[in-house]
Amino acid sequence: MAAHLSYGRVNLNILREAARKELREFLDKCAGSKAIVWDEYLTGPFGLIAQYSLLKEHEVEKMFTLKTGRLPSADVKNIIFFVRPRLELMDIIAENVFNEDKLHSTRDFHILFVPRRSMLCEQRLKEQGVLGSFINIDEYILDLIPYDGDLLSMEYESAFRECYLENDQTSLYHTAKGLMTLQALYGTIPQIYGKGECARHVANMMLRMKREFAGIQNQILPVFDTLLLLDRNVDLLTPLATQLTYEGLIDEIYGITNGYVKLPPEKFAQKKQGEASKDLPTEPKKLQLNSAEELYAEIRDKNFNAVGAALSKKAKIISAAFEERHNAKTVGEIKQFVSQLPHMQAARSSLANHTSIAELIKDITTSEAFFDNLTVEQEFMTGVDTDKVNTYIEDRIAQKDPLIKILRLVCMQSVCNNGLKQKVLDHYKREILQTYGYEYILTLNNLEKGGLLKPQTSSRNNNPTIRKTLKLWMEDANEQNPNDISYVYSGYAPLSIRLTQLLARPGWRSIEEVLKMLPGPHFEERQQLPAGLHKKRQQGENRTTLVFFLGGVTYAEIAALRFLSQMEDSGMEYVIATTKLINGASWIKSLMDTPEAQMH
Amino acid sequence: YYVATSYREKRLDSRLSHLQSAVDEYNKAKNEFASKATEDEMRLLRFQKKLDDEKGAGLMGLSLQATMETLLMLGLYKQTDQLYRDFKVPDKRYWWLKLKSLAEKEEWEELEKF
Repeated sequence: MAAHLSYGRVNLNILREAARKELREFLDKCAGSKAIVWDEYLTGPFGLIAQYSLLKEHEVEKMFTLKTGRLPSADVKNIIFFVRPRLELMDIIAENVFNEDKLHSTRDFHILFVPRRSMLCEQRLKEQGVLGSFINIDEYILDLIPYDGDLLSMEYESAFRECYLENDQTSLYHTAKGLMTLQALYGTIPQIYGKGECARHVANMMLRMKREFAGIQNQILPVFDTLLLLDRNVDLLTPLATQLTYEGLIDEIYGITNGYVKLPPEKFAQKKQGEASKDLPTEPKKLQLNSAEELYAEIRDKNFNAVGAALSKKAKIISAAFEERHNAKTVGEIKQFVSQLPHMQAARSSLANHTSIAELIKDITTSEAFFDNLTVEQEFMTGVDTDKVNTYIEDRIAQKDPLIKILRLVCMQSVCNNGLKQKVLDHYKREILQTYGYEYILTLNNLEKGGLLKPQTSSRNNNPTIRKTLKLWMEDANEQNPNDISYVYSGYAPLSIRLTQLLARPGWRSIEEVLKMLPGPHFEERQQLPAGLHKKRQQGENRTTLVFFLGGVTYAEIAALRFLSQMEDSGMEYVIATTKLINGASWIKSLMDTPEAQMH
Repeated sequence: YYVATSYREKRLDSRLSHLQSAVDEYNKAKNEFASKATEDEMRLLRFQKKLDDEKGAGLMGLSLQATMETLLMLGLYKQTDQLYRDFKVPDKRYWWLKLKSLAEKEEWEELEKF
């Protein structure tokens, strides 16, 4: 069922199993038939841990979405609320329970807080006078969710906003806790590196938590050699750029949530003879995307310009395989062919799906608008004319293009220029407020607080130095057969990944100067292992690094790290963890504030 | 903070007073840009109120650009020009808007005038 999790260097299925075990134990605590009332936000992440079948085995008969008013009727003994610890959700629960009590029902109520219970929420329930109605109040610690064979995410949407705008370090606490859970299952990680304020906090918390458990020695042979903690604000540029890998583009255009993507159905209509276009599906087509699908694993991290060739090569292999049947003469040969059929058919339908997706994307990437936008992005990244008002952006504002797209470009220019001249910045801001409405002044404020948009404070611009030292721009990026990570953005090598690459070889000491130009401290910590657990490394064995992105990571960055893992001489394999999978649009959106205008 | 509250106010006068508090706060924080932008918004709201009362134009709460667009659609060219001057709208964006709106309405005569 979750085979894709055990393919990688580190078997993440162990983590998933641990999470499932805990869930089962909680469910068994509530004896008898049950209905689960879901905080809707949680259903996606939970789907990665347990399917409905698991819940069913534990007598879960009904599932509802949490909403105000009365609970839908169901003939069950237990009602279990699965919620995030949010006050507004407590009020809804209280209303539900209150309405239920009026009917004198004899049901038992339970609450499961994800990922932690909160005093404040329980207090709120008490104030509402329903706290006593609950038989079990428990927490389900779900910090790091296994997403794919080499990828963990907390799916904690507001982490960047909380850390950099609101100075709220809750997400960092969850991160540290999550890493402790991980170490309990996979062994203590001997080396910790980090860059950035938040990274420092997380490392400090981890070390403190470890001291608190000083008595208990972890006797597991460490799976990870190194942990690298990176703040998102060390590299603000990368997520703003349009990702150009296959998976990255799917996310940019359609959005991938919890491993699923919804696509326009027209391209996927089953063409059957006789019933032409009579009933085209109107529901969006939902596809699961992970490395369990052989073809997808092969093409997801390629530059989109190399996907076409890969697909047609695959098509040839598949049709050749089908042709084999003509050569099958003996009964044994035919039998063997038939036994391969299901696999071949799966491969063929997966090929058909991805050919359709690639066509959809191609329509967009070959459009003029996409090209113009990319040209401006690349100018900014190479440092061309970043200090004056850009006419393309002005034109796009005049045409009322989506605001997020505009903000992405303006922020990008600001980041690439190490801040904009006051006059330029004010001009953009005025243009935006006059066109999209005054209410976005709050959003602009947020972007300034987060450092994505800022006035120039000194005339010194470090970007050219950083760009040159870290080789962030490669003129001759090879999209078909890449030899460098810059292929994921067709020329731009993500700063975050360069830092990771340089840490492995030759080490950060060589780029001390540049590290100082980037925000936040950089540091190194060691965790003592009990004697006897030091790994005896065999010749040629790869080391494993867990890279944790605090504040989000993009699919293109993940692709670049996978590329590094596969490089023969790198000697390093990477597992990736993050607070949230993001792209430029979803990231900016999480920083926006739009009060509902009600006046009319 | 006052900005956010102001949007919860349904009535114009109380919204304006919240915005005035926001202006004061922005001045205290020496955020010139924001206080100017907020004053502009108050000016725009008053203008919209006046035209809504006189002509029933349904402008309230629209952005400046959308306000001008609506006025052009209604053929209120004089008022549009007034906004363009009062709020120092960049020429480039204004011409784009005017060109597009007038072409849509096929008002070739008015188009020739500028």
